[in-house]
Amino acid sequence: MKKILPAVLAVGLVAGGVGALMLPGESAQTADHLDPPSRTNPNDTATPDRAADIADIYAWAADDNLNIIMTFAGPAPADQPATYDRDVLYRLVLSTDGDATSSEHIIDVRFGQDGANEYGVQARNIPMVGILEGPVETNLTRNGAVMRAGLFDDPFFFDLQGFRETVDTGTIQFDSNRDFFAGSNATAIAMQIPLSNLNVTGEISVWANTRRFGGQL
Amino acid sequence: MTISNNARRHPLATACAAIALSVSLTACFGGDDEPTPTPTPPPAATPAPTPAPTTAGYDVAQCLGQSVPGTGKSVAGLVVPDVLGIAPSAPAGFPNGRLLADPVIDVTLAIVFLDVNAPGQSPLTFANIPLNPPANDKPFRDTFPYLALPHGNPPLSATTGTAFNFRVDPASAYARVDRMGMPAVSTALIPSDRKIAYNDADPVDDAEGVFVPDLAGQLTALTDGIGDDLLSLGLNICAD
Repeated sequence: MKKILPAVLAVGLVAGGVGALMLPGESAQTADHLDPPSRTNPNDTATPDRAADIADIYAWAADDNLNIIMTFAGPAPADQPATYDRDVLYRLVLSTDGDATSSEHIIDVRFGQDGANEYGVQARNIPMVGILEGPVETNLTRNGAVMRAGLFDDPFFFDLQGFRETVDTGTIQFDSNRDFFAGSNATAIAMQIPLSNLNVTGEISVWANTRRFGGQL
Repeated sequence: MTISNNARRHPLATACAAIALSVSLTACFGGDDEPTPTPTPPPAATPAPTPAPTTAGYDVAQCLGQSVPGTGKSVAGLVVPDVLGIAPSAPAGFPNGRLLADPVIDVTLAIVFLDVNAPGQSPLTFANIPLNPPANDKPFRDTFPYLALPHGNPPLSATTGTAFNFRVDPASAYARVDRMGMPAVSTALIPSDRKIAYNDADPVDDAEGVFVPDLAGQLTALTDGIGDDLLSLGLNICAD
């Protein structure tokens, strides 16, 4: 092991110092950013659907709550505003009976606008809550549930360049000092629901999908 | 059930990190400078979880079938169907759900390429090195909404609106664009020509095995590419 471990560790250094920065949209393969490419990646389509491009889904149970965070329209440069598109439906699908193919709760989230720079968010079918709506960038609460939509740091961290080079060359080329998502933002919907609202009878499962009104771009 | 990056950091990994920095990269990687072409994924012909044979001969059935310590599930059971599973009574942490700070890519790479039940190896083998950045560039918050504030000074929406023009159209008036459950499954393990079908599908389709040949084929192609690297590093891979 003495010989092995340094070699393993050095794997991450192979491409170190290269510093070539990829821009968002360059053949990205990430958690889910820019996937599927033919609908969301500017390199693959003239009409990339940024608003409907899921970046990541996070979900965990803690302190008697289920937390769900969905990021999208990322990674975005730090000077860009959030993406609130009233024509996109963000759907969170929850199973609470141990069968991941069932869907006991389907929560639909949409964005809307009032004044020129006054955006709002609405969730329908939050268990034991129903509709929760109000302005973005605000904690909205009802019957124990909390929701907030807004612009945040893109929470994902990953050496995208190393992954791509590894796949392309068949040689492991990760660099743990190279975070493709550093310094970038994403729009997100964060939701916290009391587990007691969910009638949990088995393992919980969570997945999400996005849909565009009137058809894909 | 949780796989915590902090709880089981291999002490040797930390110690050796310093050593690695002083070791000549040429010495470590001599003879492995020439890129190996990544083989084209084999055609997905059968619905069985046994992958199609390839010229390199790697069989990833053991990878998909291996049990992931602490989860009570196999690799295939974690990614098919493509959802985040959460056992609320067990400590939270990928793959028991997914926390913002979890090193999901290194864990995923470990469970699909390495024999995670071999002595000295675990789902955290790569995360303990690490291969990818081990943490976000901004610390996450301890309370809701947990996400960090945005970088820079981007223009933010006003919070004064009261009458928003939310659509009331039913879901049937919308067309599917994207879906996600487990990180990196659609992006890394579904071949390009199947991505649309995959993103348009539901977990019930996953559970029927519709995409298992695609997952196995892609994993076989990836293993054909880097399996030799992993072996040369003295790691036990899960593929035969």
